[in-house]
Amino acid sequence: MYLMGTQKKIMVLCGGKFAFPALQLLAYEKFICAIGIGKGNDTITDALERESEDSNIGFKSFPNKKSISEMRSWIDIVQPDYVFCISFPFLLPEAVLSYGQDKFINFHPGPLPQYRGSMPIFEVLKNQETETAICAHFMNSKFDEGNIIFNDPVTIEKGDTYGKLTVKLSERMAQVTLNMANMLQFASQIPSQPQEESLSCYYEKPELSDTYINWKRMTASEIISLINACNPWNNGADTTLQGEQVKIIVASLLEESHNNQSGTIVSFTDTVNIACVDSKQIAVEILSTDIGILTAKQFAELKSILAN
Amino acid sequence: MQTIGILLARSTYYQTIGFDLYEGLRSGLKHLGRSDIRIVTENIGFGADKQQCYRSAEKLILEENVSVVIAYIGHRMAQLLRPLFLAANKILIVLDAGANLPNEWPSCPNIFYHSLHNSLGASLAAKKATDDGYTSAGMVTGYYDGGYLHTYSISKGFEEAGGTISFNHATGYKTEDFTIVPLVDHLEKFPNSALLSLFSGDFVQWYFEGIKNSFKGQNLPIYLPPFGFEEMMLSDAEYPGDNIKGIAAWSKKLESEENKIFIETMKAAGRIANLFSLLSWESASIVLKVIELIDEHKNSIPQIASDLQSFSFESPRGMIYFDSKTNTSISPLYNATIIATNEGKCEIQIESMANDVFEHFKKLSTQELNNSTSAWHNSYTCI
Repeated sequence: MYLMGTQKKIMVLCGGKFAFPALQLLAYEKFICAIGIGKGNDTITDALERESEDSNIGFKSFPNKKSISEMRSWIDIVQPDYVFCISFPFLLPEAVLSYGQDKFINFHPGPLPQYRGSMPIFEVLKNQETETAICAHFMNSKFDEGNIIFNDPVTIEKGDTYGKLTVKLSERMAQVTLNMANMLQFASQIPSQPQEESLSCYYEKPELSDTYINWKRMTASEIISLINACNPWNNGADTTLQGEQVKIIVASLLEESHNNQSGTIVSFTDTVNIACVDSKQIAVEILSTDIGILTAKQFAELKSILAN
Repeated sequence: MQTIGILLARSTYYQTIGFDLYEGLRSGLKHLGRSDIRIVTENIGFGADKQQCYRSAEKLILEENVSVVIAYIGHRMAQLLRPLFLAANKILIVLDAGANLPNEWPSCPNIFYHSLHNSLGASLAAKKATDDGYTSAGMVTGYYDGGYLHTYSISKGFEEAGGTISFNHATGYKTEDFTIVPLVDHLEKFPNSALLSLFSGDFVQWYFEGIKNSFKGQNLPIYLPPFGFEEMMLSDAEYPGDNIKGIAAWSKKLESEENKIFIETMKAAGRIANLFSLLSWESASIVLKVIELIDEHKNSIPQIASDLQSFSFESPRGMIYFDSKTNTSISPLYNATIIATNEGKCEIQIESMANDVFEHFKKLSTQELNNSTSAWHNSYTCI
């Protein structure tokens, strides 16, 4: 039996509500001694500050990069045994990391070293992976590059959107961080391995070129994956449809051949059916236009009115 | 030389559990021609102490450098060990009584569950009660068994088959607190109720004795899950009546060449074959497959897991294979009744093989638990 008095004290640095299930579980299990939030919006920061005060947990907000300079002195006061990062938006400088070797653990919402970068959830969906992971790794002064403790796999279901997968990972994150906390509590040593650089890939934050549907090159199933990967954070995948800039939010695969040029509308049914390069079609259900978010039917009606 | 590790639990009412688990594994490996494999054991007490379990597993992996670890533990303790096995890139084979339902069915490639399916059997036993025409039932359990979620599966199984749970009775943990007298009142209020009964070890004996004393000659309809049919304990239990049936995971009476070899081998090793030695005897086949796959796939866990998911083997209780969604083994279950021995004790009579076990397991593993949780960390029957 271990004594509660010897429970490890963990500070959690997070970026917002993605970390909430983990914060709740770690607090319930009495591991958390302090919470730091980076770039949080006011509502979330206020809610977290109130919760922390009620639970007698230290709290500090880091609204911008400059405020990171206050982190080390805060850590020195709190004296955590370990610091967990869950989607904390800022890189921790050497001045902070020097608090202790192997005391900072990041929980990356994607497999490492394959999916480094700030939005692995978008990248794994876009790349049509069937499995992702939450990677626990020691931190160094570069993003996502420290020694890996483990990659805990998470299945990607067909049709998962960015939103769905984010919620799933956020829930799974709670158990993974608790597992890590227990490991720190009970282990005599934490096994870890350097990242295999030959397998590594760093993805920059997606730009328009990454969220834009390339009708000439992408197959129907790749387009569906991109659309799902953009829902909801980018309000859909970007494209030009009948000369108009739109974003496709929801679409499904239509196994019907066509003779159209890819990227053009084959037919309007309950969906807007668009030709793809692999002679399949995608059936668009919801899309975002300049005048608002429309169902395919509304869009079709609008287009027929314009055509008349 | 290959080394494998096993985490052994102890139990006050199954005092031989550690020996049974060890001997089952050792004899199983020998039977499969691999006496050369070294087995390292670690004691994990009742399987409830997180520090002890973690350190024991850690020792096997980091100090003994074992290829595979086998452990008689529950899902919650396995979750605690999950990061260690992920980090060390090793496979854990959990020998699982199946008494609990996990809040989240596992999907970790490093952990495979080899199960006796007590919850699944409980649910099928409840269904059997409705098939026999009972629309009302009482769930009868004790302080200890009541802490596992087979309670949920047996009640839910009965309700989903159209029945109503009319009453519950959970009796005490110590001999002096153990009573089934409240059943007299319950059965007066709800006559024609089946008794969905969850007990293990000594508690089965106490329960049967209580039934015999309080309901002599009434032949109450009692439905049991696999641990209610554990034969070592049954052989010392008073025969309480003619209407006791349910689902068994295994019996020494199962007629097959594999079962005969298993029972005789255990006997030659000075032990009586039981559910625990069965589980570890079977795990020898899984271990050997894992060792073969480690070599074949150069220790790539996703590939090993994928191949293991499609592995099947013939065991003393029939064909065993894995559900790839939960990494849990699926084995035959048996419709069984309790009959009297000449000495007035109990023994199993196997009636037939239960139908659609896998379909029922799939249903069980996707079932919402409606916020039911179990607070028991220890390995089942280990108190």
